[in-house]
Amino acid sequence: MSSQVSRIDAGMGVSFTASAVIHLAVFLLLLWSGRLFPAQMAIQETYYVDVISLPVANPQLGAPTPKVGETDSVPLPEPVSSSPMTVKAPLKATVKSANPNTTESESAFAERMAKLERNSEARHEEAVLEKLQNKVKAGGLKSGMPGASGTEAGSRYADYIKSRLEDALKLTSSYTTKKPEVAVRLTITAEGKLSRVKVERSSGDATFELAVRRAIDLASEKFTAPPNRAVFENGFIFKPKGISSSTSTSR
Amino acid sequence: MAIITSAGIIVKLVLLLLLSFSVVSWAIILFKFFQVQRAKSESERFMDFFWKSKRFDAIASQVDRFANSPLTVLFNEGYGELKKVVESDGKSEGAGFSTDLGGIENVSRALRRATNSEITRLEKYLTFLATTGSTSPFIGLFGTVWGIMTAFEGIGKTGSASLAVVAPGIAEALIATAIGLVAAIPAVMAYNHFQHKIRVLINEMDSFTTEFLNIVQRNIAGK
Repeated sequence: MSSQVSRIDAGMGVSFTASAVIHLAVFLLLLWSGRLFPAQMAIQETYYVDVISLPVANPQLGAPTPKVGETDSVPLPEPVSSSPMTVKAPLKATVKSANPNTTESESAFAERMAKLERNSEARHEEAVLEKLQNKVKAGGLKSGMPGASGTEAGSRYADYIKSRLEDALKLTSSYTTKKPEVAVRLTITAEGKLSRVKVERSSGDATFELAVRRAIDLASEKFTAPPNRAVFENGFIFKPKGISSSTSTSR
Repeated sequence: MAIITSAGIIVKLVLLLLLSFSVVSWAIILFKFFQVQRAKSESERFMDFFWKSKRFDAIASQVDRFANSPLTVLFNEGYGELKKVVESDGKSEGAGFSTDLGGIENVSRALRRATNSEITRLEKYLTFLATTGSTSPFIGLFGTVWGIMTAFEGIGKTGSASLAVVAPGIAEALIATAIGLVAAIPAVMAYNHFQHKIRVLINEMDSFTTEFLNIVQRNIAGK
């Protein structure tokens, strides 16, 4: 008897269409909002503090001074000798460092260094802080290396590059063999652009080689120019534990 | 959206399955919503009309106006059965409605059958909502577990366990659970809501059956 009654049920077809349209709309909305408000994945800017070549007042007592001339880098500026706070003393130091960029801020820096000298207990901490402040003052990454002066990339340019590469390698590192090792020779132009990457030797781990290449690419985005606007060339030996710079220039 | 496109094949399948569950359950939600809504409002209008009318045949001629109400179906079935009983009584004895109440029993049975078929019609597809509500989170969880498994496999292969390596795999695995919950929550809510609404409609049908039988019996007794 119920066949007499004609129903006007919309049926599942219409509901299906409506439901599909709603889902599509929600999906597009999410897509749109994602483009409008992209997820904040800010990369924390890294400040590099080279512990080995921290500017200590008295190198004999403090951290070991790096060997100058190991790579083609400018010599470290001589630490200021323990002299009273005169204008002359810092000037002398800058002359020795053979750095053309003798500025007013540099003499101020040297003055502070003389002060630091007296405070030999806290000198390491002070020096780190000092360096960071200087770096921030000079405009972040454009500032020099520890131990250098002015805004030039510093005397330990090879260490600086190595430190950058190590940071990048931490992000990309992957390997399939036990002890992979890749020796790479990098050439950096006077403008700080990576001009040539040559794999000199490899233990045969393709995965690690790829990781090294990616690390170099990643690091090279932020290289500063080498000191004295000279073309920089150096070999680096990449291992999963870290990077060592191979000193021999010819191979 | 890269989080979805970069996921593994199993996670993608799980996401697809959950998406189809969600689409179907929302289709059922929409369909049921309008069905139950129409049944409720037309039942109210039908009851008004039913109490105002004096004669069953007058109601029967107007019944198409309330086609979506379950009570209309009940009335149709009951009235049809009543007509048949009256006709057969008229043929066999040639004088009036039998007073042994055998006819009443017939009408009552017809009403009970119509009630059952209407309950079936109203509860149709609701099982899917219950299934979606209870299984979607588990399907999502399966996708997550699988995704994390493959993520750990990748970590083991590369030998690097830095957060940059671990985090994306786990994030894309967790999205499966999220989608599972997104599919399940509306389904469970809608299921409970419709269960309640349909229970109300069943109660209305029961009381209408009682009223209908009362009226029939009163008229027979009056004859």
